[in-house]
Amino acid sequence: MSGNGSGSSGNSTSSGDSPNRITRNDEQVPYVESTIIMTTVRVVTPFILTLGLFVMFHGASSAGGGFQGGAIAGTVVLLLAFAFGIGPVRDWLNPAVILGLIAVGVGTFVAVALGSLVLGGEFLQYTAYPVPHASKYGIELVELGIGAVVAGIITGLFFLIAAGFETGEPMEDDT
Amino acid sequence: MSELLPLLVAVPIVGALVGLVVGYKFERLAWPLAVVTSLAHTALAAFVAFEVYAGGEPLSYAVGGFQPPFGIELVVDGLNAAVVVLVAAVALGILAYARRAGPHSAAFYTGYLLLVAGLSGMSVTGDMFNLYVFLEITGLAAYALVATGDDGRSAVGALKYLLVGTVGASLFLVGIGYAFVATGTLNMADLAEKLAGVGYGSTLVRASFAFVVTGLAVKTALYPLHTWQPEAYASAPDSVSALISALVSTVSAYALGRVIFSVYTVDFLSSVAFAREFVLVLAGISIIAGSVLAVMQTELKRMLAYSSVSQFGLVVAAFAIANDAAVTGGVVHLVGHAVMKGGLFLAVGAIAARTGARYVGEFDGLAARAPLLSAALATLSLSMVGVPPAVGFVGKWYIALGAIQSQLWPIAVVILLSTLLTLAYFLRIVERMYFRSAAPREAPAERSTGTGAAAVADGGANDDSDTDDERPTLGRGSDVDFGSPSAGMVAVILVAALLAVALGPLVSTFEPLLEPTLDLLLQP
Repeated sequence: MSGNGSGSSGNSTSSGDSPNRITRNDEQVPYVESTIIMTTVRVVTPFILTLGLFVMFHGASSAGGGFQGGAIAGTVVLLLAFAFGIGPVRDWLNPAVILGLIAVGVGTFVAVALGSLVLGGEFLQYTAYPVPHASKYGIELVELGIGAVVAGIITGLFFLIAAGFETGEPMEDDT
Repeated sequence: MSELLPLLVAVPIVGALVGLVVGYKFERLAWPLAVVTSLAHTALAAFVAFEVYAGGEPLSYAVGGFQPPFGIELVVDGLNAAVVVLVAAVALGILAYARRAGPHSAAFYTGYLLLVAGLSGMSVTGDMFNLYVFLEITGLAAYALVATGDDGRSAVGALKYLLVGTVGASLFLVGIGYAFVATGTLNMADLAEKLAGVGYGSTLVRASFAFVVTGLAVKTALYPLHTWQPEAYASAPDSVSALISALVSTVSAYALGRVIFSVYTVDFLSSVAFAREFVLVLAGISIIAGSVLAVMQTELKRMLAYSSVSQFGLVVAAFAIANDAAVTGGVVHLVGHAVMKGGLFLAVGAIAARTGARYVGEFDGLAARAPLLSAALATLSLSMVGVPPAVGFVGKWYIALGAIQSQLWPIAVVILLSTLLTLAYFLRIVERMYFRSAAPREAPAERSTGTGAAAVADGGANDDSDTDDERPTLGRGSDVDFGSPSAGMVAVILVAALLAVALGPLVSTFEPLLEPTLDLLLQP
């Protein structure tokens, strides 16, 4: 959903027929190019991504999990956008990639759940897999999937919101 | 055959995922994929329901092989088998309508399938926390669907829905928390035993009941807590209004009944008189206030929305009365209301597409201009009022019977009064359609809901590119852009009208099927 929208919304510059519509896209968002911020972000992002994965993997055995880890991993793209400008980062990041991230995440979860049914177990029964420590690896795989979904949604939402909205459309007064 | 229960939730999720990915590249494939998924889901639901009613035994399933009360349990008995089939069938019908009426985007079909997944999950789960999770999935999908209209009005409606809905879900969660503190379990069957062990006099137990009921009452939209509902229904595209009005509040009301019977049990209601009075008064006020507010509306979709407030008051009252007749009536009315209200919203949408009429004043002489749709609208309206032999009558009859059996005279009077008010707000439509000639002023189409500006803005690029996104959505923008309703849309409305009449006589065959379940739920 969000991957789909982030590419198309906000860029409707072709509406020359209605002069009262002001499109507020990322060109009008103030952006200051700062060497300090860019360098810091460049140094810090690998560590943040690692921390995100670390938290995701911890979901199986201790405090952590896909939701927190995915949120941390998703902030990497947000930091890049703050440092290098939202427009360039949006151009660099194909919306299909974000959509793919979400799809792969949900797909992983569903595949793990249905795979155990195929192997003769119950729905989502990790121990049905003929792997040592199947529960542990199964949960870790599912947490990684959740992490991918959360990271994808956060970046997708960020670009959607950053794209702004079209003003000049009359808002109906609700009763 | 209980292995099928998790598939009821998993199949729509897989469909949503495939639809999202394929629809990104090939938007035209999103609808066929959604239909295939919905057909598979309906077949599953019908098969599960058949097993339950033929076997007479509830099906239950432990997810992941973790045995309840520790693992998550899925249970289908006579009470929710009907709800599962209802969700699948209504969703399929509205999909047929949405093919032409829109919204035409892969995002809409994804949201639609996620909503079906959430509703199925709420219907089959036997675990309180799992119920909360599916309540949130349902809610989030519903907020997104309401916002699928492009203009400001649906965005405001969705935001209001989101704020109030989240508060409701949070209250529900607080209630679960209190019950968990009191008992240390979340499984419904296990909670029922342990809550009795803790004692119904315990403040924790009573507080948890109050929070859970209030939270679900927000989601069901009972009177003082209904504020999100009219604007959400009225501002959404017509397909979405029908889907949400027919299913979301219905499944929330089912969840309320399930919680009352399977978690707190009838014993709790009879030993804590205040709890039963609390629910009955809430429901009674909702019945009257919803009807009165509906009479005051001029926009048809808002009128139907307030009518739902009143009808769900009836259902919740039935669950609080909690005897055989009343609960049978509650389930019948739950299913019947979904068919009737879904059909009514679709009929209003199709009539607006043909004539542009969305306000009561514009319905004069409509029967001459759109005879088939007017007949369907009139049939559904009269069924909602409770004219025999339609299903609306049977449901109300059983509920009133139950109220009288339990000597709850005020509720019986309230039901009678609300029937009169329902007659008032539906009959004025029928009267205008059939017994008045159309006024000479012929510019009703300009006065549609929505702003119209969104449609104007899109109108520039209409001819050169006919991708799915460019096709107008019914219920958003101007109805003139939409053209006339397709044969499929009219067929869905006619099926709904026929069902509303045909389901009434069928209740007598449904009642014995429900009886074993009610014996289990109502006799402790």
